[in-house]
Amino acid sequence: MSYLKIKLLKLPVYFLLILGIALLSLDFVPVNQANPLQVEPNNLPQFSSPVLITSAGQSAEIQLAGVIAKRASLNAELVKMATAENLQGKKTLVLVLGASLKGLGAAGLDMNQEISRVSSLLQACQEKSIPVLCLHLGGEARRGELSDKIVASFLPLAQLALVVSSGNKDGFFTRICQENNIPLILIDRASEAIDYFQKIFLINLPQ
Amino acid sequence: MFHFNILLGQIILFNWLILNPLIVYPQQKTTPPVDKHQPQNFFASKAMVVAAHPLAVKAGLKILRQGGNAIDAAVATAAALNAAEPFASGIGGGGFMVIYLAQEKKVTVINFRERAPAASSPTMFHQDGQVQEKWRRTHGLAVAVPGALAGWNYALKKYGRLSLREVFQEAITIAERGFAVSPTFSSINKDEYEKLLAMDGENSCYLQQGFPFEPGDIFRNPELAQTFRLLVEKGTKAFYQGEIGQKIIQAVQEKGGIMTAKDLASYQALELKPLWASYKDFEIWTIPPPGSGGLHIIQLLSIFEQLPLKKWGYLSPNYIHYFTEALRFIFVDRNLYLGDPEFIDVPLKKLVSKEYAQAIQRKIKPTKAAPSYSPVASGLLENPRDEDENTTHLCVVDEEGNIVSLTQSINHFFGSGIVPEGTGFLLNNHMDDFSRDPQSPNAPGPWRHPLSSMGPLIIFHQGQPFLVLGSPGGTRIFSSLTQIIFNIIEFGLELDEAIEAPRFFSYSVGGKARPLFVESRIPAVTLEKLRQWGHEITIREAYDKYFGGAQGILILPQRQGMYGGADSRRDGTGKGY
Repeated sequence: MSYLKIKLLKLPVYFLLILGIALLSLDFVPVNQANPLQVEPNNLPQFSSPVLITSAGQSAEIQLAGVIAKRASLNAELVKMATAENLQGKKTLVLVLGASLKGLGAAGLDMNQEISRVSSLLQACQEKSIPVLCLHLGGEARRGELSDKIVASFLPLAQLALVVSSGNKDGFFTRICQENNIPLILIDRASEAIDYFQKIFLINLPQ
Repeated sequence: MFHFNILLGQIILFNWLILNPLIVYPQQKTTPPVDKHQPQNFFASKAMVVAAHPLAVKAGLKILRQGGNAIDAAVATAAALNAAEPFASGIGGGGFMVIYLAQEKKVTVINFRERAPAASSPTMFHQDGQVQEKWRRTHGLAVAVPGALAGWNYALKKYGRLSLREVFQEAITIAERGFAVSPTFSSINKDEYEKLLAMDGENSCYLQQGFPFEPGDIFRNPELAQTFRLLVEKGTKAFYQGEIGQKIIQAVQEKGGIMTAKDLASYQALELKPLWASYKDFEIWTIPPPGSGGLHIIQLLSIFEQLPLKKWGYLSPNYIHYFTEALRFIFVDRNLYLGDPEFIDVPLKKLVSKEYAQAIQRKIKPTKAAPSYSPVASGLLENPRDEDENTTHLCVVDEEGNIVSLTQSINHFFGSGIVPEGTGFLLNNHMDDFSRDPQSPNAPGPWRHPLSSMGPLIIFHQGQPFLVLGSPGGTRIFSSLTQIIFNIIEFGLELDEAIEAPRFFSYSVGGKARPLFVESRIPAVTLEKLRQWGHEITIREAYDKYFGGAQGILILPQRQGMYGGADSRRDGTGKGY
């Protein structure tokens, strides 16, 4: 085989190498650039307790947040339909996002009443400089017109978002967080939030 | 050439090793989900099973291939659903089945609905003049005497060919080996998390280390497998008079219930004469009270028999308006007349008559919702916010043409939330199906069956089985099933298209209208017209489990085959051969 032939045969090889690099730069981007808002574990924003946990949409995930807080040894009070009065003495609001018609029905609320309640609560948080941590723990199943309306209404007011990643398959949370410069933590399952709660709230558990 | 291959390999390896860890794969980007709601009809030439979980369908089909008939396969599917869809039905609950025996050309009904314990009374849920909602739903008092096992056993012994041992085998395998949890299972698990925590604790077998299951997690239930094994070895006596029964009584009484061992030992399934009616040149065979679904389906069909449905059109304002108004009038009858016919006189003949249907139809004003639906304020104590989802339905057709249409339930998803220790199954909360009103014909009382909304049915056309159908969905059952029937018979939709089609529902409480609940796919222009006609509208999700999860089999003439349709609002599927 002549030298020229070998050179020609190598051309597709170089092409493949260049194509691979080009693909990386165009479509597949490195982690830290793909989601600049994804928070590094050692660079988490800090929040203080005591905490008020409430729902935005009356989904059952508020109970998940309650168990997460309990297991994280977080000083928290859970009030499904909290109002500004419940913020008394609290240093953080944990808002559990997700609409459930069943939950709203059980609470005797419609969507407009619920949005109005949460809006008032968040306004009180702003007035009292209480930071808001938004959780979406229901994953893909807790998406849909009503839940998306809740998320779009209240997530922009959060200081941090913690989201079960199956609910973000279409990038819905990433987009809102990017637009509003909110750090976003994506987790695979709700129980992973325990560890994050301990880090965010600086909880030191006995060894 | 050899050196060239090495070079190529090195470059590919370099790309893979160095660059792969830096790649964010497209799962973090927009990936639209596959549309599971796309209508899909399952075809089979000889036999078919349709149910709410693929593993349950597999269980039924296996029995058919082993030589079992439709009854054997239905019981195998029902038991498998206990393992694969445990939140909706199981041996802690009850139900109804409609059976068609092809050779005898006979239709029969088996009632395995739960009964109230002997110590029940009309005011058992009242304290200080107030109805205690918790007692009706998440409390020992909420649990009625389960009938599923007695019903399955009755059907097998009288109309089946196989033993409990044979038909429970797949249920045991599913419970033991487990399966990947679906998004439906996971979302329901999350919805009922509070109940499970309260009634069964963080160590519940229906939670994973105290948290709900996520999609893809493996759910195993070895305790349920053991319970089924015990039933295989010792028969249903182990449940109604033996060690499983003792655990049931202990669990119920620990949670404040009144069920006794005698209640459990006395339970028997009943064989009933089916309810029959015609609609044009179709015949409907369904369950009588204490199931109300069949009766109300017949009423709805009869109300529309003389109305120009085809002319009005599919999802037209006229159709939805008349249907909505008819439902509201029917709910008045339901509150006034219906209960357990073993204990009260139900004016069945009058309620299913064509004359009565025409009288209701004449009360409906075109283009205007009625200000009231009853001069009598009946049903004032009924729950005005019935949001709970529940129940399951399965259909089987075998090679000989035998048919089973079976609806079973533990009432609300995850029932009462009570799991008798070490058994792996959930106890029902069907006492909540009794009226809150102590004067109601459906008030709780010793041994009464609570009124059910179930309506499993078989429709015949020109003497031949045409459509096997049923659905879960509480009080939405008969509304949803009638809409599916109209979608097929009047509007010409194919079976699964008819099942997936947008649904709506309304009712009345105390003679007053409740909102018209609609899936969001109903056209806005139609909704605007309905608002103009006086309907308050509540828009729900596009495919909402609230409206049920219907399953059906449409049988082609001259046994040319059959189509199965299963509801994508849950995990329904079908298969045959």
